[in-house]
Amino acid sequence: MTKATVDRLVLAGFVLLSVFLYLSTDSFTGIAQKTSAKYVRFLAICCGSLSLVQLGISILKRDSSGRLVLTEHLPRFLGLIAALILFGLCFKPLGFFIPAAVFVPAVMVMLGQRNFMLIAGTTVGLLGFVYLIFVLLLGVTLPGPSF
Amino acid sequence: MEYLSHVFTLPAILTILIGTFAGVVVGGMPGLTATMAVGLLVPFTYTMDPTLGLMLLGGIYCGAMYGGSIPAILLNTPGTPAAVATAIEGYPMSRRGEGGLALKTSVIASFAGGTFSVFILLLFAPLLARQALSFGPAETFLLAIMGLAGIISIADENTSLIKALLSGVIGMIIAVIGTDDMSGSLRYTGGLVELIDGVDFMPALIGLFSMIQMLELAGKRYHSPINTSALGGSRSSTKMPKGISKYMALGSGTGTVIGVLPGEGATIAAFISYNFAKQISKTKSMFGKGNPEGVAAAEAGNNGCVGGSLVPTITLGIPGNSVAAALMGAFIIHGMIPGPELFTIYADRTYPFILSMFLANITFLVIGLTFAPYLARIALIPPSVMVPVVCAFAVLGSYALNQSVFDIYLMIAFAVFGLVLKKLGFSLEGLILGLILGPIAEGGFSQGMIIGKGSPAIFFQSEIAKVMWLIIAVLLIPPLVAHLRRIRKVV
Repeated sequence: MTKATVDRLVLAGFVLLSVFLYLSTDSFTGIAQKTSAKYVRFLAICCGSLSLVQLGISILKRDSSGRLVLTEHLPRFLGLIAALILFGLCFKPLGFFIPAAVFVPAVMVMLGQRNFMLIAGTTVGLLGFVYLIFVLLLGVTLPGPSF
Repeated sequence: MEYLSHVFTLPAILTILIGTFAGVVVGGMPGLTATMAVGLLVPFTYTMDPTLGLMLLGGIYCGAMYGGSIPAILLNTPGTPAAVATAIEGYPMSRRGEGGLALKTSVIASFAGGTFSVFILLLFAPLLARQALSFGPAETFLLAIMGLAGIISIADENTSLIKALLSGVIGMIIAVIGTDDMSGSLRYTGGLVELIDGVDFMPALIGLFSMIQMLELAGKRYHSPINTSALGGSRSSTKMPKGISKYMALGSGTGTVIGVLPGEGATIAAFISYNFAKQISKTKSMFGKGNPEGVAAAEAGNNGCVGGSLVPTITLGIPGNSVAAALMGAFIIHGMIPGPELFTIYADRTYPFILSMFLANITFLVIGLTFAPYLARIALIPPSVMVPVVCAFAVLGSYALNQSVFDIYLMIAFAVFGLVLKKLGFSLEGLILGLILGPIAEGGFSQGMIIGKGSPAIFFQSEIAKVMWLIIAVLLIPPLVAHLRRIRKVV
């Protein structure tokens, strides 16, 4: 998709969001109807009108934007997101140190690093740094494994 | 004097030293910014003594602002966007063997700008905070709107003015999610328990300012090699050129004033100071070819922004820039709500924090004069090392504040959503400012409506409110008209 098409879709999404926001304020009850509801309507009107103006400008302009390129290297980009999600999933059961000891070398290899010493040094260095500075020196409580 | 004794304790001095050194290192790494470093570390300060936590972040802010200039001068690779103007003059100086002089000028100018701006912060913040006492809910609402109006100044060639404003409004809309303070009912939480308290701005900040940079770095097919040929001649010491202090003073003043304006960042401060120096210089023709006057003005300008940006942040709760927004988060998580209370109830934390920044400036002066040429090598760290390390801190930082895995997913979601918006020309600074100012604006609006018995006239009644509307109009109308004229030409 071209950048202009995505731009118009996002702006149209914001217009829809504004309409939804405006209509949703009918369900506000009690004092919120006189206060928060009015505030949300104010935001909805601002968002809707700004989006409509920008959408109008975008439609009137000739589309010479080219394709929207989020990333030059999709596998690495998606790989990093997947690794982050996995890191997050492991956080509760395994704490910080065990997932980090896997995440850091895995991402380094994924990004093309092949120097084993550097990978090992960075991983140990990071974990050591976090333990020394955050746990010992600053007294920050880090999550540990649940077992 | 009483507050000085808080600064000169062993834990405080150690914290400031660690913070400043870490700031210089972070600032020296291209791709890592002060916002990112402060944002990442705010959650970790939660369990620390509040004063020490703030000192750590203050040190990082000061150090990072200076650190960006080292690789800018020696490797033509600005560590932070604010050091781009420094690279224009600093790198040509290094190429002709004057790297030592450029580094010396840079660190002394940074010290001058930073110290001056912290002095202004110390002098004017309590006075301005006292003025905030006369603000009612209506004025508080207008203050937040004024802060958002400042967003327009963020708009540049990559960000459309309307999109910058829209970003702020989207941020305010995201801030609406959670419990309604007026009625206690839940709004737009989608049944998620984690959203009852709303969207925490720390995961958003980390996602928008740290993770996006890492996603971009990871997704780059090719990383251009850095030219290290100028590193060799950087250790020679030369006397400072005559009259250079004039440019440092100019940059310090300009940077501090620009820093005070909401939304204006260190990059703009550095460029405006640089341009001012260019206009008044007797050696205009040397600009762009390695003029120390340019280095002095740009560096004093971006460091001048540090104290300046904290003036509206800690007095009115309106962050001067994205780093100040992250620092404001640190004040809030320690229960210190920006405003007059910071200088009365929490004076024993606020004043030591401000005073600690003088020490942070001295620390980076010593680091810069002693180790700068060696620190330039930080810029040579490959993305394959930097990305996983920063990501690990980002995940840890997002989790640490609320001990919530949901915040990690929120951080990732903000990074992806933010990246799309950034590519489309929206303003991420605007989004985060909206997210921070949203609750302030809503509180002021709702209370104002109650006092005004449902009539919006309350927002126009007081003299202060009228002046604020005038300022909002002055901030918004001329750039909007100019923007629409430009669009009409294009269409």
